[in-house]
Amino acid sequence: MILLDRVTKTYGKDKKSALNRVSLHVAPNEFVIIVGTSGAGKSTLLKLLTREEKPTSGKIVVGGIDYDTLHDKFIPLLRRKIGVVFQDFKLLPQRTVYENIAFALEIAGMTNHEIKSTVPKVVELVGLVGKENKFPHQLSGGERQRVAIARAVVRQPKILIADEPTGNLDPKHSWDIVRLLEKINKYGTTVLLTTHNAEIVNKLKRRVITIEHGKVVSDQAQGSYRQ
Amino acid sequence: MARMVEPKALMQGKRKRRKALTMWRMSRYGMSNFTRNMWLTVAATAVMTITLLIIFITLVARQVLVDTVDTIKSRVDMSVYVKTDTPGEQASLIRERLEKLPGVNSVRYIAPGEARDDFAKDNSDDMQTLDALNEAVNKFPGTFRVNIADINDPSQLDNFVKTDALYKKYADPDRKPSFSGQRRTAIQNIGKVIEFAQNAGLVASVVFIAISSLVIFNTIRMAIFNRREEIEMMKLIGADKSFIRGPFVVEAVIYGLIAAIIATGVGVGGLYAMHDKLADYQIAIDGTIHLVTVYIWLVLPAMMVAGALIGVVSSLLATRKYLKI
Repeated sequence: MILLDRVTKTYGKDKKSALNRVSLHVAPNEFVIIVGTSGAGKSTLLKLLTREEKPTSGKIVVGGIDYDTLHDKFIPLLRRKIGVVFQDFKLLPQRTVYENIAFALEIAGMTNHEIKSTVPKVVELVGLVGKENKFPHQLSGGERQRVAIARAVVRQPKILIADEPTGNLDPKHSWDIVRLLEKINKYGTTVLLTTHNAEIVNKLKRRVITIEHGKVVSDQAQGSYRQ
Repeated sequence: MARMVEPKALMQGKRKRRKALTMWRMSRYGMSNFTRNMWLTVAATAVMTITLLIIFITLVARQVLVDTVDTIKSRVDMSVYVKTDTPGEQASLIRERLEKLPGVNSVRYIAPGEARDDFAKDNSDDMQTLDALNEAVNKFPGTFRVNIADINDPSQLDNFVKTDALYKKYADPDRKPSFSGQRRTAIQNIGKVIEFAQNAGLVASVVFIAISSLVIFNTIRMAIFNRREEIEMMKLIGADKSFIRGPFVVEAVIYGLIAAIIATGVGVGGLYAMHDKLADYQIAIDGTIHLVTVYIWLVLPAMMVAGALIGVVSSLLATRKYLKI
């Protein structure tokens, strides 16, 4: 599903290396946790996957799409195939829960009929029934993150990238979100989760990739958080 | 029998419907941004209104200036004098010849008797002067008041007084034409001031319009800067550049249209309100008010187009920065 082959990303004139010859493979339906200290290269890795950044060298293939041959005008189409969840939610503040979720379908050109039948199902999946007409500022952090997850999965992407989705949440809400991600994974979506939360990493018993100083320093099938 | 539809035609129809749906959605988002971001809407519309009002005032001021200058020009005439005893028929002949000169708008002849009567009217309170006038022989010359198109160029008239035999026969030897000597300098100075005012007006118009456009551009740029994270998010969930840009453009167009209506209303109302005061200062405002009132259905759409156009250009330029991959 995801393949990185000796991917290097450097920044600036002094060519400071954010990622250094990183190679990894993620199979379909896998749940992978990426850990590492701040500045280790986790965010750069995710930015490369969403094509916010281009690698300095190396090959990236996601869902059969080789980024080397991907023209800029097709990047929006690629991003519609990948669901992304952020630590700071990135919701549209002036739109309701329903509108935020529907937005992801509207940009893909889906008809109003399709949207009306799809959104309620996702709202139910993330447990926000009854809050469809609330604005983001009327929701708790955990609820906002659920909206963000609903928006990310409403198009049924093959891959869901969750960039520290529990970073701004208390432990209870953090676990709610993690359980939701597991549920989405169970339905067949490959999940890539980055987190600093050792408890979540240790309890989930999933594949853990540790990145330090831009390099993959460990890749364990049922890993734990390395301090 | 069911009509056969080619798959290509079906695809094209579907694509067209999708395009129309996307356009509708972009407009809907633009409109809802307009109504939901109230403080931004009020601020941006206010700035745009003030800016369009400045553009309106600049254009109106220029028109008023042109009208005022024309009025002043029409009041500045060149005087050519003939002797007191010039016969009326000869004076008429000279007037006809003057009227035929290129660049001459009109010629009015003031006979010596008429000049004397005018002088008496002007001094009707001064009994001493009136008594003197009644006793003395009329020495007022016959005067041709010549109005020319370009008061800076009296060369045709100058040539006429030097070469026309009939005029030279009756020319008043004691009074030189007004476009020579000290009076010529005065007329030339008026001409120069008028020319400067017209050029300065044109430059001021261009400068004001340029500054106004920059003000609007910066307002919209700041509004979009405030929502750069929204743009970032839209990009990351796969929205096309046009889908992201569309609502901002629609929103800016709405600002422009509403601002144009308010600015035109305030501008025209202001013109009527200031009419009497400006007229007191001999400023020719009637023509402009007439023009704006008669052509209001042209002025208002023009202002709306200007507002919408500035909105479109500003929002396109302002979003460009955030739409890079």
